[in-house]
Amino acid sequence: MLRNLIRQELLSHLMSARFLAAVIITLLLVVANAVVLLEDYERRLMKYSQQENTHRQKAQEAKTYSMLNLSVERPPNPLSLFSAGLDKRLGSTFDIYYGRVPMISDGSARSLDNTFLNLFSKIDLVLIFQVVLSLMALLFAYDAIAGDWESGTLRLVISHPVRRGSILFAKYIGAMACLLLPVLMSLLMVLILLSSTGSIQLDGEDFLRIGGIVLTTTIYLSAFYLIGLLISATTRRTATSLMLCMFLWVALVLVYPNWSRFTITPVGDTRAIHSSANQQIEQIWEEVDREERAFLANSPLEGKPRKFNLDVQSNESFSSGGHVSRRYGMNMKLGNRSEPIVPHVQKYHATMGALYIRSAEQIALVRKQTLDSISLRESIWHERLMKLSPASLYTFATSAWAGTDLEGMFDFVQAAQGYRRTVIDYFHDKDAFGSRQWFASDKGAVDWWDLPQFRFDRTDVWENATRALPELFLLLLINLVLFTATFLIFTKIEV
Amino acid sequence: MIWHIIKRELFDHLNSLRFILTVVILSALMVTNAVVHLRTHPKRVRNYSEKVTQSANELKSRTELYSLARKGPGDLNKRPSSLSFIADGGDAYLPKNTSNGETWSKSGQGGEVKSNWWLKYGTVNPDATDLSPYATKIDWVFIITYLLSFIPLLFTFDALSGEREQGTLRLCLANPISRSVLLIGKFLGTLITVLIPFVFAVLLNLAVISVDNWTQLSAADWGRLGLILLIAASYAGIFVGLGLMVSAGTREPRVSLVVLLLIWVGTVIFMPSTLGTLSTKWMPPVQTMDQFRDARKAALDQISDDYGDRMRAIKEKKNANLPSLSELQKLYETDPEAAMAQAEKFRTAWEAEGDEELALKAELIKEDVEIRERLNRERLDAQVAQVQRARTVTRLSPAAIVQYALESMAGTGFNRHLQYLEHVHQHTKQFRQFIVETDRADIQSLHLIGVSKGMSQKPVASEAIPKFEDKITFSDTFNTATLDLLLLVLLLGVFISGAFLIFVRSEV
Repeated sequence: MLRNLIRQELLSHLMSARFLAAVIITLLLVVANAVVLLEDYERRLMKYSQQENTHRQKAQEAKTYSMLNLSVERPPNPLSLFSAGLDKRLGSTFDIYYGRVPMISDGSARSLDNTFLNLFSKIDLVLIFQVVLSLMALLFAYDAIAGDWESGTLRLVISHPVRRGSILFAKYIGAMACLLLPVLMSLLMVLILLSSTGSIQLDGEDFLRIGGIVLTTTIYLSAFYLIGLLISATTRRTATSLMLCMFLWVALVLVYPNWSRFTITPVGDTRAIHSSANQQIEQIWEEVDREERAFLANSPLEGKPRKFNLDVQSNESFSSGGHVSRRYGMNMKLGNRSEPIVPHVQKYHATMGALYIRSAEQIALVRKQTLDSISLRESIWHERLMKLSPASLYTFATSAWAGTDLEGMFDFVQAAQGYRRTVIDYFHDKDAFGSRQWFASDKGAVDWWDLPQFRFDRTDVWENATRALPELFLLLLINLVLFTATFLIFTKIEV
Repeated sequence: MIWHIIKRELFDHLNSLRFILTVVILSALMVTNAVVHLRTHPKRVRNYSEKVTQSANELKSRTELYSLARKGPGDLNKRPSSLSFIADGGDAYLPKNTSNGETWSKSGQGGEVKSNWWLKYGTVNPDATDLSPYATKIDWVFIITYLLSFIPLLFTFDALSGEREQGTLRLCLANPISRSVLLIGKFLGTLITVLIPFVFAVLLNLAVISVDNWTQLSAADWGRLGLILLIAASYAGIFVGLGLMVSAGTREPRVSLVVLLLIWVGTVIFMPSTLGTLSTKWMPPVQTMDQFRDARKAALDQISDDYGDRMRAIKEKKNANLPSLSELQKLYETDPEAAMAQAEKFRTAWEAEGDEELALKAELIKEDVEIRERLNRERLDAQVAQVQRARTVTRLSPAAIVQYALESMAGTGFNRHLQYLEHVHQHTKQFRQFIVETDRADIQSLHLIGVSKGMSQKPVASEAIPKFEDKITFSDTFNTATLDLLLLVLLLGVFISGAFLIFVRSEV
């Protein structure tokens, strides 16, 4: 009997105009956007490799250790096609040097050519499912019970020896199958498109991630279908139920996610936090200055620091003194007169190198605190508030699967921080800070053949799954609550 | 008769659930919009005026003509619009000021050369450091483009197909009413029903906003508000027309609803962003910041080398009578003291600044500023061209048309930014002209702009220095807005006549 009911539901949906319309519009939107997004991804990939090349060249150009100019670039995530998340937004270039621990806010978007284009809102494939298919889910559901009740078929069906639970279940299964069909069809089209262009290489784990996205989509659509079903069971009039469904959809999908972000500002006055952080950082610098003076007092070096009374024949140098980091580089050619003091200068640079590394780590702690208590806290609060809407839950869960969420971005920053430590270790191995090649290349330039290379691998799929789990769980919970409520109401309903 | 139909439609709708829901959602959004504006606007205005006074004070402290040329007019700030609650216009993505370019100095033959002021455009990319999830601001543009298109569809999807199903349409047409009168009656009735809650919400919004005295609306502002209502009405009208058209063409209201909603999703939600991304695909690429810097460095290195060569030529010509280096070395072996004296003379001669050297330096500085500003301008123009093209293409969607029209009404958005940049360019020109003219008035000056010794040494009256004030003028934005308005009216006409044609041919 249950199978009969499901078959009947399925057939009536499949023959309906709305199903046809849903399939056509989803396919159209997904394919059109996939082409655009693929193009966009290819362009980003090209820029990424260009940037990588320049970074590599710049690293090789340095003649002395202090002139080394290292940067790493975050590669575009191939799954950003499905869920863009933060992948396209956050700065992707990080400068790596011993005097600063890279933080997520240090990323710069130097590979962007036109920041004005941020004026146009970005799109991804998940957004299409989020907007179009949730609407379709409600349109499938609004008359599921109310319509049958109005036309009297409900009474007819119930007069047969069928339990009400099975009727509800059959309706649910039939509609969900019809909703998933356009999702799977359009995904198949996208995969065909991807394999035909070949610019995106997906591995086995990526397919698992896409599977996770499909699973999330199913749960999300089921939540919306159940919302519609609940409304349909309680109102008993299709016209009323339709209007309630439509306005609820506008509120949940369009209005609420945007509304909560700009209406509720969870972080109060940030000036106090900033100023105390600034003070701490200033103290760290004072400490550095003091130790520098102490070193110079005990050393025979005289004159301006770094130049001293060296006999400099030519010097190519830069120095930048930011609030969070100080940095200098020099490439000198020394005359014979300076030979006697060179060992002292080497000792000076070794001390300064150690000082800068230490201060960088101290400053990083302070900066991490500020980051945690301001921007990170703000973003976590915004996310929490947004999670009241299933549409936002869906966005967060899918970006966690794709690895384009905040955690995924932190993964990269961590890799960059690890790379900085590797480079420092490399410098230590070569005894770079205390060498003559730190500041002068007249006795031969540095050979960078064994400079460690940067590598970044995305986390494995299980890590993605655990990150998506909280949102998935919440979505499932919503489903469960809605289903029980609908079931209870439906069993008590008078026909 | 038509009046009768409108009245019937109105009463039908006013009693319905959808009308109540419309009132609730529109009012809630409009009040939120007003409250958020009240909270953020004072800060924006305060920031702006603080910055303006700061740069005015800095300017006042420069009494020397040379320091004006060297340090320039300071930051030039963009005035925030008091109507930003109507259209945010991507405010966060547009730079709020232009700043002083980086300074450089160069020493060597012929003494020191210091850079002069050059105009540097601001760049902002809040996305690069923003960790929060993406969201659109809720301004009038959001409310109008999303809701004033969605709600008309909900009111019209069953207007004809529903009545046809019930048979009331046949009954209605049995009376001596022409189909066109019926259609226009339905159109106007629905439009008025949709506009009543909207106008109510707008009034609520303005009432909240007028509580605060940071936002003062002038008479012209009220005129603009009227035009905005007109734009909103014609936009809603387009979707009423669309709804009637589809409703006239389908037999079942369910089908017409699905078709309408899908058209809506496509045109209002997806078209603007997809088309925006798509259109830049065929544009000539803009240099990235790194590429741009490399190109600029190459150009600047060239003039710098050129300067070095010419300076050396001047010095060699001038100092031809001095002994050469090898002669000096020989002299040093025989008579060190005389050699040292000679060397000292040598050094002063190389570092001395004659008129010729000053002229060369002034030329270098002028070229440097010109190259920097020209390259910056070229890059900006390329970026602007991309955005303009993308905006033209997105105008295929009525939602984008409304957005741009409202932005030009509110004095925000990209066109307003271009207007501000235009003001900045005018001011820079005026500022430079002022320096040249003041210098020309002093007969003792060498008239070599850009070098300290070549310019007038007389103090400059601080009142005489031109001041930058950014004004939001609407005369030119009105032109673009009228174009958008005409496009909207055209679309309105298309949809109404489409609905009419389909309805006339359809069977009852």
